[in-house]
Amino acid sequence: MSTAVAVSHSTEDDWKQPSRGMVGMACLIAAESAIFIIFVIAYIFYTGKSLTGPTPREVLDLPIFSTVCLLSSSITVHFAVHQLRAGKIGQCSAWLAGTVLLGGIFIGSTAKEWYELIYHHGLTIRTNLFGTTFYSLVGLHASHVIAGLIMLSLALIFSLQGKVNAHHAERLEVLSVYWHFVDAVWVVVFTVVYVLGR
Amino acid sequence: MATHTPRRHGGVFDVLQEWITTVDHKKIGLMYIGYALIFLVVAGAEALLMRVQLAVPNNHFVSPQTFNRLFTMHGTTMVFFVGMPILFGFGNYLIPLMIGARDMAFPRLNAFSFWISAFGGFLLYFSYLAGSGLYGAGTAPDVGWFAYAPLTSRVFSPGHSTDYWTLSVLLSGVGSIGTALNIVATALTMRCRGMKLSRMPLLVWLYVVTSCIAFIAVSPLTAAQIMLVIDRYLGGHFFDTQAGGSAVLWMHFFWIFGHPEVYILVLPAFAFANEIIPVFSRKAIFGYPAMVAATVAIGFISMGVWAHHMFTVGLGPEANAFFTFSTMVIAVPTGIKIFNWLATMWGGSIRFATPMIFSIGFLFQFLIAGLTGVMLAASPFDWQLGNSYFVVAHFHYVLVGAILFMIFAAFYFWYPKITGRMMSETLGKWHFWLFVIGFHMTFDFMHVPGLLGMPRRIYTYEADRGWGGWNMIVSIGAIFQTAATLIFVYNLIRSYYKGEEAGPDPWDAWTLEWSTSSPPPSYNFAEIPTVHSRRPLWDLKHPDDPDTNYE
Amino acid sequence: MRYAMEHKSEAGHEAVHMPEPTAWPMVLALGIALILTGMVTNVAVSALGLILTVAASYKWFRAVLPEEAHEMVPVRVDAIVPASSRKSIEKLPVNPIHRKMVPVETFRFTTGLKGGIAGGIAMIVPATLFSVLKFHSLWYAMNLMAAGGFVSWAHESNAFLAQFHMEGLLAALAIHAVTSLLVGSLYGAMLPMFPRWPILTAGFLAPLLWTGLLASALNVVSPILNERIDWFWFIPSQIAFGLVAGFVVNLQARVRTRQFQALPFALRAGIHGGLREQDEQDSGKDGQQ
Repeated sequence: MSTAVAVSHSTEDDWKQPSRGMVGMACLIAAESAIFIIFVIAYIFYTGKSLTGPTPREVLDLPIFSTVCLLSSSITVHFAVHQLRAGKIGQCSAWLAGTVLLGGIFIGSTAKEWYELIYHHGLTIRTNLFGTTFYSLVGLHASHVIAGLIMLSLALIFSLQGKVNAHHAERLEVLSVYWHFVDAVWVVVFTVVYVLGR
Repeated sequence: MATHTPRRHGGVFDVLQEWITTVDHKKIGLMYIGYALIFLVVAGAEALLMRVQLAVPNNHFVSPQTFNRLFTMHGTTMVFFVGMPILFGFGNYLIPLMIGARDMAFPRLNAFSFWISAFGGFLLYFSYLAGSGLYGAGTAPDVGWFAYAPLTSRVFSPGHSTDYWTLSVLLSGVGSIGTALNIVATALTMRCRGMKLSRMPLLVWLYVVTSCIAFIAVSPLTAAQIMLVIDRYLGGHFFDTQAGGSAVLWMHFFWIFGHPEVYILVLPAFAFANEIIPVFSRKAIFGYPAMVAATVAIGFISMGVWAHHMFTVGLGPEANAFFTFSTMVIAVPTGIKIFNWLATMWGGSIRFATPMIFSIGFLFQFLIAGLTGVMLAASPFDWQLGNSYFVVAHFHYVLVGAILFMIFAAFYFWYPKITGRMMSETLGKWHFWLFVIGFHMTFDFMHVPGLLGMPRRIYTYEADRGWGGWNMIVSIGAIFQTAATLIFVYNLIRSYYKGEEAGPDPWDAWTLEWSTSSPPPSYNFAEIPTVHSRRPLWDLKHPDDPDTNYE
Repeated sequence: MRYAMEHKSEAGHEAVHMPEPTAWPMVLALGIALILTGMVTNVAVSALGLILTVAASYKWFRAVLPEEAHEMVPVRVDAIVPASSRKSIEKLPVNPIHRKMVPVETFRFTTGLKGGIAGGIAMIVPATLFSVLKFHSLWYAMNLMAAGGFVSWAHESNAFLAQFHMEGLLAALAIHAVTSLLVGSLYGAMLPMFPRWPILTAGFLAPLLWTGLLASALNVVSPILNERIDWFWFIPSQIAFGLVAGFVVNLQARVRTRQFQALPFALRAGIHGGLREQDEQDSGKDGQQ
């Protein structure tokens, strides 16, 4: 993290330090990454070690549509920050609404996937090692998506109420970094669970 | 929102309200230290009970079940509710003062982190009251501080005693990550004008590295605890060997946290040494860049040594060789630090005040602890002595001989800043000598029963093993340490009322915290300072020969 | 920053902005702790915890958005002038070389690496001598070293080790190079402490480091080497390493430490003989002006 701060000061007059929110978010991301890495390691370690079925190959389908939705929400949130910085509150609200919508679609399709797994394929967290590791890893990611969605919705509400101005661009940017992180984690989870793990 | 209400100082409720609602880093730091001291006394009492039990063979002072609870609670409390909070407490108090800031980067998060780890500690001890009352199945946790699977599964520990352990450690982990995040953000973004990273006091540097280790080490523990909760509450199979789960995986996850945790605890101790030794040697620290580099190196290498706690599991020759080597390599940056401290003292005019003699004790004991550590790092040696009292003696040498000694030094050094009064030097010397005697009686002699084959975590032993005499000496040492600690506590309280007035800068030191009044006002500095070198106060005191000319 | 800089101009430091005290972080922590406590006691406790968590999150959120809550704290302006006023200890005379960093001159860190490389090459000579004289083979010592890298070689015979093996050559080269560089860098790290007689200290230190590194780890890493190691030959090879490394180090240029800049100008210019005596006392190296 300290690489981000290698600021060289020619004189002590131009005294600039990194943004507080960004450094805090970077630290949070470091800590969260460690948690995800442990869950991913557990998933990989237990791949194919379940004593009973169902196996991932039997029950998992590639969630292409929801993945596309989640990844494109990274782009929309980026534009929201961009517009807020330019002072265009209305456009910012629109992009934020798009982000929340795309994230909502992702969560909705995860819920649908889980419903089918539980009620049609009989896979619960107790069934076997696959169930345990799958629900905990995907669930951990989904809980982060939900937390992000709550914060994005609050930002949307504030911006619709007109309480947001260009002054807040930095805070929204910090939130967007979190959202990018959640997306990046999904890329890893998707690769491990749906591509390699099948 | 900006209110002008002046602080009321009146009834108990006003004081209580002031402390509960505070977001001031100094008050939060003091609350951390205070609550760690309370738990230090509790966990120390647990250790004393264990030593009484082990002093003579075939003793029945406590039951085997109680003994299991005692060592579990002692270990868990000392690591999570004494070591971490006391070090975070000092960090909280000192870092903004040292970098010329008025508060931490996230003051509210700071309060939250403190309270959540405090509630974690209360929850752990609540198990003594509630564990059996509601469910009748065991009281306090008794699975050992590293809680190996499958002992923690529902089958082997029914009831909720293990859940108390898991949940309270989980809470403390959340608090630790919050505070670590705050420390890094504060050090990187709140420095006063002119305080470049290359001028930051070494204490702050070391706390930053500690915090970065905390992100990467404490989070895996949190993850592992979440898995354990899933296993115990939702019927998952992470560590359930019956369903193909792995018990060794828990060991790996735990020690990925567990070994860096040692460095999380010891780096702040190094940080105190970095500030105290130069002041009492009347010389600038030797090799500032080397110190920073060695610290960062320790931070990286500490991530790759965890499995040396697991040599006895049977990892195979390649893994054994790797972890043996990585463990020995970490001795190199540590050695550089010891040499730098010695070089700082070398040729200085050393003043043997209480903080300094504790630091010197730390240097010697840390060296010895490092040597027994290298012995244990050799995996064949570890196969012989793993899980024996030799291991217990080794890590207590680090935790008590190095870390606790530096914590005492830090108390004597910064107490005048915190309270405005000096601690008694006479009592301090008594404290030091009694503690040194007690420490060496306990932990030097504890190596011997380990070499003779005494395993850890046994509640008693037969008389014909030849361990009795050694254990008696070890237990007598514990009494000396208790007496010394009581003197220390008395000194803390007495000096608060009767200590000599300290003034802003009693030790003639060089970092920014000594430039404000003692105790500092809530805003720390009436005017934010500007610094031009690593020792801003030296520059102010000696305008004819400032450090700026040399850096 | 955000508190201080903004209000510096405001009426000469009469008050500064500080974050307003708030109980909500504590309530939030309590709420989360109660949720978990409910898991070991009763669901009702969790429900209470949830209520507290939601309420505290909301209140906390309101306190920082859209603007952070501050309070004004009046500042008592009595400037503290830091001075070296000893209260509890007597004032010491100011030492002219206060910022002493012994020694005045030392070697670069890379010097140790160069020494390690040279010593590593030199070490091959006694090692080959040993294998030719004792086992009549050029390759025995090399294979013995390489055996550390191959677990399957652990139980091979002496005859096997006396033959030439390509993978043996490569592994031995790699192991030897890595260990030589490691010893060289360790020695380089210690050099500033003993810069005086490199040949002597290297001749003594290098065997110590080699033996220290190997003896502790040998049993695990390479049982075969441990079994057959001939200390009578091994120690002289190490001394050869050390002497050559020290010789190479001695040829390298010395660099001045920052201590040199801190010396008075007369000493730096070499006019005074004082540096020599001073340095003798403080055990640096001998000033070679």
